[in-house]
This record gives sequence, structure tokens and C-alpha cells, in this order.
Amino acid sequence: MRRLFAERLVLATGVIVVLISAVFAYLRSAT
Amino acid sequence: MPQSTLGELAHLRRLPSALPYVTRRAVWLTVYLLFVLAPVLALLMGDLPPARDFWTEFSAAIAYVGLAMMGLQFGLTARFRYVTEPWGEDVIYHFHRLLSLVALALVIAHPIILFILDPTRVRLLNFFVAPPVARWASLSTYALIALVVTSLWRVQLRIRYETWHFTHILLALVAIAAGVIHMIGWGFYLGDPGKRALWIGLLIFWMGLLLYVRVFKPLFILRRPYVVTEVRKERGDSWTLVMQPQRHRGFRFTPGQFGWLTIWGGPFKITGHPFSFSSSAERADGHVEMTIRNLGDLTSTIHEVPVGRRVYIDGPYGAFTIGNPADMHVLIAGGVGITPMMSMIRTLADRGDKRPVILIYGSKDWESITFREELEALQGHLDLRVVHVLSDSPADWNGEKGFINAEIMMRHLPPPYRDHEYFICGPNRMMDAIEEALGEIHVPLSKYHSERYSFV
Repeated sequence: MRRLFAERLVLATGVIVVLISAVFAYLRSAT
Repeated sequence: MPQSTLGELAHLRRLPSALPYVTRRAVWLTVYLLFVLAPVLALLMGDLPPARDFWTEFSAAIAYVGLAMMGLQFGLTARFRYVTEPWGEDVIYHFHRLLSLVALALVIAHPIILFILDPTRVRLLNFFVAPPVARWASLSTYALIALVVTSLWRVQLRIRYETWHFTHILLALVAIAAGVIHMIGWGFYLGDPGKRALWIGLLIFWMGLLLYVRVFKPLFILRRPYVVTEVRKERGDSWTLVMQPQRHRGFRFTPGQFGWLTIWGGPFKITGHPFSFSSSAERADGHVEMTIRNLGDLTSTIHEVPVGRRVYIDGPYGAFTIGNPADMHVLIAGGVGITPMMSMIRTLADRGDKRPVILIYGSKDWESITFREELEALQGHLDLRVVHVLSDSPADWNGEKGFINAEIMMRHLPPPYRDHEYFICGPNRMMDAIEEALGEIHVPLSKYHSERYSFV
């Protein structure tokens, strides 16, 4: 369960950083 | 540290934080995301280079994020007690391992997107004809691939742990430094002096984390040596190292915690080994004991340690500790997983704790049960019941046989199961089975604690 907890944490981190990267790209490409 | 009763708090000198674990986890997760994302978002400030298409910008953003994540990996393994404590060292190391895969995916996706946008860029992969700025990128990516491959398949590749550890640090340094040089050389965003200074500052910060772990911390540990006062043979091919601080007061630990031990060599030696403390946490003179089973490598040399040997301990670490208000402590140990449990039992006995303790203890056979006699003796000092489970039991054995499972636990634990506090330590397979069994009897995650001793 603790490993699963770490895995979910990594998944959440991965999703957040990819989303923010997409926001970065959107803001830059729109300017 | 878990929520403690006032009576138990009186026993603890070290109180790192009054904040609950969930709050501290949220704070550290936010700090982590800030360190990864803020330097990338800072690129949007000030003077901006000409806008490009979405996918080119996206590929640049994920490369920056990937590099920032790689740099922060040094922080995750820097053993900052306040960071690791709310999670447990095993979760932090698993997080570190998996994050390297995310960072690798981001760094590799960066050129792949650029190659899809313009296939002629593939020639940049040729190390011999590519311009220097692309060579640095290739070097960074190849170093990161080598780092991940040697970490995932170290055993299959037959790389010694010590060799791997040294190579691991070296490859990480190359991957990060080459990545930053590539970004500065490319100069698109980092052509701006302020932004360039920010990323060079970040590189220095990441290197500083490494310097802290490998130089400053060992310097501190060097001034606080321990001396081995006894090497005691235990049942189950195990040895107990009894250690006393030399010219300092030592540290206080909470039962269930562990320390990184260096026996052969000084604290600058690149590879330490984590072992649980097995002694009572109530000793005020800094005396600590570690019980170590012969499982090969360093552990096979414990019996050769001479009395009087100077050793070094970096600790204490770990969130696998008693302290929650519980009606009953249920300790589930497999093999050498008994060591943190022994520390808990000895400590509870020394404190005169009246609450019941049930130890479900899996061993190979009757003769290899580490601490067997002491556990029998401790049953007179504490409300302790020991349930031995033997995987290789003799024909006349009337006790539990096989491996610890849900049926065995339900036979010996009084309901309601969810009210007890559970501690589990043992081989990975046993831990998985017990965690599943606890789920079956509806024990919530907050009521059980587990720490895997094979986390590195």
C-alpha cells in the first residue's frame, strides 16, 4: 500500500507538470 | 511523528513538529512542485524571445521541467529528516526511483517532438557531426538513460552495489550539468541574463545538495563516532552490534527507527547501509544496538567486527514508530524484520506500558527464531503475547505453520481489528500479503505502519 501511495504521488506529480508545461506552451504560442 | 499521547511525549526529547503528517506532506509536495515549476514559469517573465508553435514550446517546457526534476532528485535522497519523516524513507526512495522514469520520459519526449516537427533534426543525434550545443543534449540524455538502465537492472547486470552507487552519482552529475550547458548554449530563453543566472543558480543549488550529503554531513558524522563494545551472536545467523558514543552524547531515537551504518571506512565512504535499532529507546547514555542478519555482502562481515572498532551512524531516520494512542499494538515481523519490533517491545517494557502487545512472528524454524529466549522472558514484564509462525515446522509442532496470512491474524487478534495499531516489517512478499490481508479485515491505512527493509 505504501508503494502504491508513492506510485499515485508520482502519477499526480507527472500529470501536474505536464499540464503546467501545456499551459506554458499555450501562453507562449498565443503571444 | 504520529499524534502522541501526552504520557508518551514525555519520553521523547526530539519533537520535530507538532503539525500532523498530512499537513506536512501537503507542504512538502507544494514546495517540491514550486521548485520544479517556478523556474520554468519564470521563463515567461521579462523580455521574451519570438513566439513559436505550441508543440515546440511544449517540448521546451517539458525539457526544463524534466531537468528541474532531475536536479531535485539530489534533495530527495539528501536524508533531510524533516522532509522524509512524514512519508517514511521507503516511500521517498520509491518516489525518487519512479520520478527518474518521469524525468527520463520528459527529457526523451523533448527531442522526439522536435524530430516529428522537423525530421531533418534527427541528424543532431549523430554525436560526431552535430554542433556542440546538440552534443551536450545527447550526452545528457544518454547519461540519463544509462542511469535509469543501471538502476532498474543492477542485479541482472551484476553490478556491485558500491560500484553502482558511485556510477549513479556520476551519471546524474553528467546528465544535469550537460542539460544545463545545452540550454544555456541554445540560448533561446536563457539568452536573457536574469533567466540564465536563475538556472545557473539552480544548478549550483542542486550541486550544493550533493555537497551537503557527501561532504558536510559526513564531516558532522566524523566528529560523532561510535565504538563497538560488544558483538553478540543471536539465533537465526544474526549478530548484534552494541555501540556506545565516543566523546559525545549520541542521539535519541524512537523505537522502530533506523540509522545508516558505516563499519569499514569513514563517513565519506559513498555507501552506507540502513539497519534498524534493536535496543530500547529509553537508554539515556546514547547506547544503541543493531541486530543484523547474514544476508551476504556487508552483513556477512558483522561477526568479524572487533570490539573497540570505531564506526559511524547517520540517524535516526524513519516514520515507522510507535506513539499513536492505540488500545493494542500488533507487531507483525518476518525474519530479521523482528529488529525494529524488538526495539518497540524493549521500549514499552522499560516504560512500564500496560497496553497489550501481540507479536506475530514468522521464522523458518524453531532454532532460528532471533530473540526467542528474551521474548519469552519479556512476557513476564509486559502484556505481551508472541505467536510464532514457522515455515519449516517439525512434525510435533502445535503452533502456526506456513506464512503469516489473514486467517492466522484473525485467529489471534480480538475484534474490532480496526482499533489496533499495526506495525509490519519483513520481506517484500510477506509485506504485500499482510497489507492485502489487513485490507480484507477492513483495517484503514492510517492504522497500520510498514517499512520495507529492502528499500535501497
